[in-house]
Amino acid sequence: MFLIAKLALKDLTFQKVHLICNVAVLAGVLVPLLVLFGVKNGVYDALIGQLLSNPRSLQIDTSGNTEFLAADADEVRGWAETGFVTLKTRSQFDFVNVRRKDGRQKRDAILIPSGLGDPNLPEGLALGDGQAVISASLAEQLDIAQGDMIDIITQAEDRPRQLLVSLKVVTVLPVERSSGRSVLADIAVLDLVEAFYDAYALPEYGITQGKPLSQRAASFEGLRVYANDLTQLANLQTRLEKRFGVRTEARTADVQGVLNLGRNLNLALLLTATVASLGLAAALIFGFWGEVERKRHVLASLALMGLGGNRLWLFPVIQALISAVLAILVSFALLWIASGVAEQIFDTGLATQGGLVRVSMGQAVIVSVVVFVFVGLSSLFAARSALRIDPATVLREAAT
Amino acid sequence: MDFAGHQLCINDLTVTLGDGERRFTLRSGQWSIKGGEVIGLTGQSGTGKTLLLEILGLLRAPGGGSYYSQQPDETHHFDRYWSGAQARALCASARARFFGFVPQSGGLLPFLTIAGNVALSQEIAGRIDPDWRDHLLYHLGLEKSAHLYPGALSIGQRQRVSIARALAHKPFCIIADEPTAALDPENAHAAMQLLIDAAHEGGAATVISSHDYPALAQFPMRRMGLEITSAPQDNHVVSELRPLADQVVLKGTR
Ligand SMILES: Nc1ncnc2c1ncn2[C@@H]1O[C@H](COP(=O)(O)OP(=O)(O)O)[C@@H](O)[C@H]1O
Ligand SMILES: [Mg+2]
Repeated sequence: MFLIAKLALKDLTFQKVHLICNVAVLAGVLVPLLVLFGVKNGVYDALIGQLLSNPRSLQIDTSGNTEFLAADADEVRGWAETGFVTLKTRSQFDFVNVRRKDGRQKRDAILIPSGLGDPNLPEGLALGDGQAVISASLAEQLDIAQGDMIDIITQAEDRPRQLLVSLKVVTVLPVERSSGRSVLADIAVLDLVEAFYDAYALPEYGITQGKPLSQRAASFEGLRVYANDLTQLANLQTRLEKRFGVRTEARTADVQGVLNLGRNLNLALLLTATVASLGLAAALIFGFWGEVERKRHVLASLALMGLGGNRLWLFPVIQALISAVLAILVSFALLWIASGVAEQIFDTGLATQGGLVRVSMGQAVIVSVVVFVFVGLSSLFAARSALRIDPATVLREAAT
Repeated sequence: MDFAGHQLCINDLTVTLGDGERRFTLRSGQWSIKGGEVIGLTGQSGTGKTLLLEILGLLRAPGGGSYYSQQPDETHHFDRYWSGAQARALCASARARFFGFVPQSGGLLPFLTIAGNVALSQEIAGRIDPDWRDHLLYHLGLEKSAHLYPGALSIGQRQRVSIARALAHKPFCIIADEPTAALDPENAHAAMQLLIDAAHEGGAATVISSHDYPALAQFPMRRMGLEITSAPQDNHVVSELRPLADQVVLKGTR
């Protein structure tokens, strides 16, 4: 076995032309496919990345006037497609004034319901009672830092006193994760604001006038749901609309467009790869086979001397596999060069995110294994032919 | 090499090729060959010399008869090697151990140097012996070409490499099929002499075939001839091996 491998290698390096030829044939098919694959990955990842960088892509809002109860939110939370769900209050009450505790400056900001699992928040962050997360611009304008206390101030024309809720800032969202001036807090805070507008008494906040809070039925005006991932968005939207008989708003069309593009690119690539590998298989099978036929005398000589017994078929297989390994190395080297060139020609700005032509380590390993096995299988006809060579040909056919 | 008491015994081996219209049957008769002995196998073209050597060299299964290698301490029944599932592997390893082949034209591996070609039969047989390899190369006048590839050598030189390769792993039996047919008379004579010397010195049993009887007749050796014994119009050609007495054949050719 070792001796067969050694001789196969020596033969291969002695006849470099054939080795180069095989490697060239393999790389000639492999490199364009890899470049296509890499470009597909690069473009697709960039588009998906753009979508994912904005949690809005995962967001579904109910529209219109439908009543939702806490139980509805709990039900949706239990669905597999759901990443995060929160109830919404009436939207006209979302605007509040904010100031740093004891600060002088005030700014209006939008109050957004949030909580654990909200893709707008850093992963794993829970918003407890009396806690808030604020946007970068609000933090900057009011000079608020993480850990500071802020006051949420609301006033209504018909109420003598204003509502003041103090919250602790647990995190300031970075600029790219937030837009405008916003405060993210638990739905309870928004509900409180709504109760205030609806003229209920809130003695805990020093508002004694108004209807008793016990008369208030807790109901909400909408749901905001985030899908687990982009592929679930459409399903989740349909499910919500069916379950609650409401219309919803989401960026489903954009997301579906990118997902379809990805699917179609994959399909096109698969078709191309299939056609290419059929041609390649034919070239390799007949190439390796022809090699064995051409080397009949060499193989018969080895068999005559008793090499390998019935394992002489390994000779062409080992040669094929060595060619495959070389071709894989050459192909990835060329891919690397090609992606460098592509980056130079198309100023995509994708370089920082991983480049226009992208093939991950895992994908490279899979491609290599597939090519290795593919080439190995292609050499089996040659192996069979090698096994059938009669060592007596050396005595019978006077040549070489 | 000590092959004392070691011999190959051939008992009425037969093989029949073809079917129906045309058939060819070879009959070996009963004989044996000892270490150091040289047999010249002669017969016109088509009488089955190569066929017989194929059977002797474990390259083809005999149709009948028995064939074994007898040593003082062990006997190998070569004819039985063909019946098992592992026939191919068994015969291959027996070839590597017991036989050295010198074909009509080299059969050298183009991708190994001369030294590499000679060493290869040692590697296959698992009897690596660089001193013996160098001795053979020197003895056959190949020491200066040891690093060259076969493509760089003349046909006569290649045939000498082929002889060195057949001897390198110290096999008991050397099988040379028309080893001189491709050579000019001078080289042919030299090659034949080398084989005979090697047999006498090294003690290997040697079978050399040649359709050219006068070429064989120049050397002292035991001779056997293959002869068609069937009628000329017969569809079933039968060729039989018989010992040749020196004087009878000499009379026939001179
Ligand atoms: N398949 C076959 N059917 C019938 N006869 C065959 C077949 N193969 C070989 N032969 C005959 O066997 C003989 C073998 O010849 P070979 O051993 O090559 O002779 P030599 O080496 O003496 O020239 C030839 O006469 C050939 O016609
Ligand atoms: Mg012949």
